[in-house]
Amino acid sequence: MLAGLWSYKVLRACNDSKLQETQVMKTILNVLLIITAVVLSGCYESHDERINLNEEIRSDTLMSNILTRPVGAAFSALIGQGIEITHVVTGTNKAGFMVLQVDGYNRSTGVRRFEYKIEWLDDRGMVIDSAASTWLPVSAKGKSRFSFSSVAPSRDAVDFKINTRKAG
Amino acid sequence: MRAKRLLLGFFLSASFLLSCAPETENIDTVNEQAKAVMALDYRDFNRAASEMIQSMIQSGKLNKPDGGRYVMTTGRIVNDTMQRIDTDQLMAKIEQDLMNSGQVVMTSAVGGAGAPDQMVYDVRDLRDSEVGDEFDPDTLAAKKQLIAPELSITGKIFQRNLRYDKKRQQVEYYFQLKITDLTSGLRFWQEEVLIGKRGSNKSVAW
Repeated sequence: MLAGLWSYKVLRACNDSKLQETQVMKTILNVLLIITAVVLSGCYESHDERINLNEEIRSDTLMSNILTRPVGAAFSALIGQGIEITHVVTGTNKAGFMVLQVDGYNRSTGVRRFEYKIEWLDDRGMVIDSAASTWLPVSAKGKSRFSFSSVAPSRDAVDFKINTRKAG
Repeated sequence: MRAKRLLLGFFLSASFLLSCAPETENIDTVNEQAKAVMALDYRDFNRAASEMIQSMIQSGKLNKPDGGRYVMTTGRIVNDTMQRIDTDQLMAKIEQDLMNSGQVVMTSAVGGAGAPDQMVYDVRDLRDSEVGDEFDPDTLAAKKQLIAPELSITGKIFQRNLRYDKKRQQVEYYFQLKITDLTSGLRFWQEEVLIGKRGSNKSVAW
C-alpha cells in the first residue's frame, strides 16, 4: 500500500517526460517484486504441525536469519513475551486416578525456566495433602512447545489448581 | 584519655559487628526460593519423591488385578553419595503417598534394614515369655497373623562429580528405585530421577 502511494506521488511529480515515466514504472515493478518476495519468503510453513523445527535448525528466511534474529530477540524481550498455556487435557486413567496434561508455548526467544505446583482438590474443593504437591521445574526452549503432565495422588481428586513461579 | 577513647571505639566496633550477624529464621518450606546448594537438600528430596510417586501411579502397575491393595515392604535403599543421608528422608514421603493412594499398604514387620517397627516382634516375645501369662490372651497377637509382603521397593542414591571447567564443578545425583514382585521375582516398575547441580569448585557436595 505504501509502495502504491509512493508510486502515485512519483507519477504526479514526473508527468512531463516519457523517459521518466518509464523509469518510474520499472522502479514500481521492482518494489512490488521485492515486497512479494519478502511476504512469501517470510512465511515459514511446517510440513507437519507435530514437528517443531527450531529457528536455529531450519533454513533461514528473510524474516529470520543471522541479521534479523537479534532484532527479533530484542523486540521480543522489549514487549515481554513469555509462556502461554495453549491446552489443558484431563482424564481418568485405568486405575481411576485423574490425569492432567498442560500444553504451552514459549513465545520468547530464549529458554524459559519456571516451576509449577499442582494442588489436587476433592469434590468438596478441599486440597488433598500429598508429598507429590511440590514445586517441580519445567524448561521450555524459545519459540517452542512444551508440556508437562501429572497424575492425582488419590482417587478422590476431581479438580486441580496450578501455581507457577520463576525458577530459582 | 586516649586509652579510654580507644576502648570505647573498640566496644562500639565490636557491638556493630556483632549486630550484623544474620538472624536465625525459619525456612519457608512451602514457597522457598533460596539459591540452590551443591549438596542434597529437602527440596531435592521433595522433587525426587514427587517424580517417583507420579511415575509409580501413572504406570498403573500398582493396580491390583483383583482389586484390593498390595502389601509392600521397603527393602534396601543404598546411599552411595558422599553425604550422610537417612534414606527415610526420601522413602517416608513415597510410602505416605503410596498408602494414601489406596493401592498399597506398607508392612512394618519386614524391611531391608530389619523390621521398621520392632514392636511387632517385641509383643510376640512378650507373649512367649514368662510374663505373657499376665496378659489377657485375647489381647495378645496370635501366631500366624502377620501378612507377608507381596512387593518390595528398593533402590539406590548415588552421585557423580565432574569437572565442568576451571572454576566450576558439576555434581549429578541419581535416585533409582525399583519395585519387585516377591512371589515371582519379576520387576514391576523402575525409575531413575536425575538432579544435577553446577557450582563453584570451592563448594562441597558433602
